[in-house]
Amino acid sequence: MATEVKPLFRAVSTSPRPLYQLLRCIDFAQRVHVQITEDGIRFAADNSRVMQGVAFLDKALFSAYTVNLPPSEDGETPDYPNFQIPLSTFLEVLQIFGSVDVAARAQKADQDPYRSNIRNYRPNAFSNHTLGIAGTCTLLYAEEGDPFKIILEESGTKTTAGLTTYLPEMPEDIPFDRNDLTFKIIMSSRTLFDCIAEIIPAGPVKLTITATKTSPFLTLSCAGDIGSSSVDFARGKDLLETFSINDRWSQAYKFDFIRHASEAMRIASKVSLRGDSQGVLSLQFMVDVEGGKRSFLDFRFVPFATHDDGEEDDVEIEEYD
Amino acid sequence: MAILTFTLSEEGVTAFRDALNCLSKFSEDVSIEARKDSFFLSTMNTSKSAYASFRFATNRFFGRYQYQATGQFQDKFYCSMYIRGLISLFRSRSGVESRGDVDKQTIIDRCDVAIEDGEGVKSRFIARIIFRNGLTATHRLPFEVSMPVHAKFNRQEALYHWSISSRTLKQLVDHFGPGTEYLEVNTDGDHVNFTCFSEKTISDDAVLKKPLHTSISVETDEFDDIDVEDKLQIVVSIKDIRAITQHAAITGNAIAARYSLPARPMQLSYASDAISCEFLIMTVGERGGNPAQRTKKVRKGAPSSNNHVPPHLEATSRRTSAAPSQTAAEIQRQQSEMPPPASSRQPPNPTPRLSAARASASRIGAFDFRPSQRPPPPTLRSDSLFVEDEAWEPVRDEDEDGDEDARLEWDHSADPVSGLVNRLMCPVANLETESLYFAHEPRR
Repeated sequence: MATEVKPLFRAVSTSPRPLYQLLRCIDFAQRVHVQITEDGIRFAADNSRVMQGVAFLDKALFSAYTVNLPPSEDGETPDYPNFQIPLSTFLEVLQIFGSVDVAARAQKADQDPYRSNIRNYRPNAFSNHTLGIAGTCTLLYAEEGDPFKIILEESGTKTTAGLTTYLPEMPEDIPFDRNDLTFKIIMSSRTLFDCIAEIIPAGPVKLTITATKTSPFLTLSCAGDIGSSSVDFARGKDLLETFSINDRWSQAYKFDFIRHASEAMRIASKVSLRGDSQGVLSLQFMVDVEGGKRSFLDFRFVPFATHDDGEEDDVEIEEYD
Repeated sequence: MAILTFTLSEEGVTAFRDALNCLSKFSEDVSIEARKDSFFLSTMNTSKSAYASFRFATNRFFGRYQYQATGQFQDKFYCSMYIRGLISLFRSRSGVESRGDVDKQTIIDRCDVAIEDGEGVKSRFIARIIFRNGLTATHRLPFEVSMPVHAKFNRQEALYHWSISSRTLKQLVDHFGPGTEYLEVNTDGDHVNFTCFSEKTISDDAVLKKPLHTSISVETDEFDDIDVEDKLQIVVSIKDIRAITQHAAITGNAIAARYSLPARPMQLSYASDAISCEFLIMTVGERGGNPAQRTKKVRKGAPSSNNHVPPHLEATSRRTSAAPSQTAAEIQRQQSEMPPPASSRQPPNPTPRLSAARASASRIGAFDFRPSQRPPPPTLRSDSLFVEDEAWEPVRDEDEDGDEDARLEWDHSADPVSGLVNRLMCPVANLETESLYFAHEPRR
């Protein structure tokens, strides 16, 4: 190839804060699987093949986004770059961004005690961030096998971090049948977060999610060491924006897995809960990021296997009047 | 099926939580006792040296309260529960974390509680919390049916009492350091001294082997009323006092203390609109040389609209002319015979503030050394006061005074340097000087 200077992938962002926010939501696995496509980068985290979290960073989140795939011989769709990186390290690197501002403020405070004592809490009109010269964050993947590079440039300081890339080992998603949905509910993500927060004190191991056609519509219940708790929507049907259900659906999940998604519940604006006939639960979060753009986070959970002897039903779901 | 059902408003949930938080500082379990017209939460600590109880006025505190007498619970229902489970149930939902937009959605509309028990029914405390946004949370907690243990307090025996605004008392208690264990209350002329100290030794290398003693001297004018034997030193656990004052300050009403002699229980009580609280804590201490002399002050001039002192206390406090040697029986007779006439109300002291300020100004910041007060060995703490039934018979203490002193063998010639006492003479208004004194506290 003649133009070997062109890297495989290069993306520039002036504000990596949304990247950080989104990626933090799937920070439950050591390594994430990265796939670079022409529309954006896909980060997938996986926990024992029973929980999966996907953050898709749309190319709209970047101010410049180029993918130069080598043209394949037979004209088929080219292979997108696939690799794994340690997510926590990536998040740490992203946090470096903005630290120049903090350091500059601290320095200014030393020189100008008046400002440091009285006005320190105010947003600084002359900070790099407010002036829009925030600097850039460049993600670079030169060629297959290269380190995944993050270059942060801010007011004269340039930080380059190279993350070792690992061979992909989890190319498959948890199978979720979009054409065989048992129910689909869209609601405010805050509400789901509140429901989960409500039952956390019970110290649950298993979370049972039940969706019914009639009241109470959607129930989250669990049993823990100090008692059992449940949250339902019997009086709150209007909290459910979309509610379509084919049949009664009830599945149990490991509570810790669901809790991993609570950061996503916190920052997202809406969530779509879907369950297929196999019992796989899909949580799709819509996150409003800076500048009116939207991003999506996708979680999938495999339920506990249900046995027909009814033993698994140790969660109290008695009715209370 | 439910034995007891009641409804709490959002304020009710908050009040319930405050009470449970206070109880959790005494013990891990709480006893619930419910009758047709009363609802109690009580607990006793494991060493049986402190007892706390909250009584809720069923008609005012609860939106709805229904007691269904069934089976073994014909007369009353009682059970014991794990406090932490209850606290998490009634925890504060709003503002758990800073939410960007001030959507006050998850705020409780009401909380319905049902207690179910009986044959074939699981013993469950079921709380259904209905949120304003439409969510309904149902929590089921198990309980154990066990008879609550109540401590009894003999009011006739408690000759001494004082009452003070709970906020003032909390401000005083806030000044005592975290490492301290005991609080000593004694009177000295027209001052009441609150001394906080510890018997723990920090380390052998330290010059001061014990944490700083902190003493706050309060003018009797700060008290609503006071009638205590002069120089009587009564020592209680500061941990218990802290728990009590913290809760009392929420209600903001006057807190009343009644006690007699060291090694006898002290009662602390206060009431708010719908809750009345009573605490019994064990005391140790030392009696002064002059039992006949009393520190006494009655302030009844101010209209006591928000002063929920029980009538019994009012009657006693107006007994200004009673001789100190009166026996309890005489006092009682006098109370029953003589309802205090309105004319006996004293006019308010015209210059209490002025004199207090002057007195404190002359003494503020004065350090002085005095012998350390050693509380008697822990074996003297009597557990036997707390009994399960009404059968407990109080013993007159006057007969035993000689004995007790002999047994204690106080060493009054103790090395004066070993216990450095930082005595802070100030009324509450002058507390800003405290940081100076706390700077001396050894770091741990």
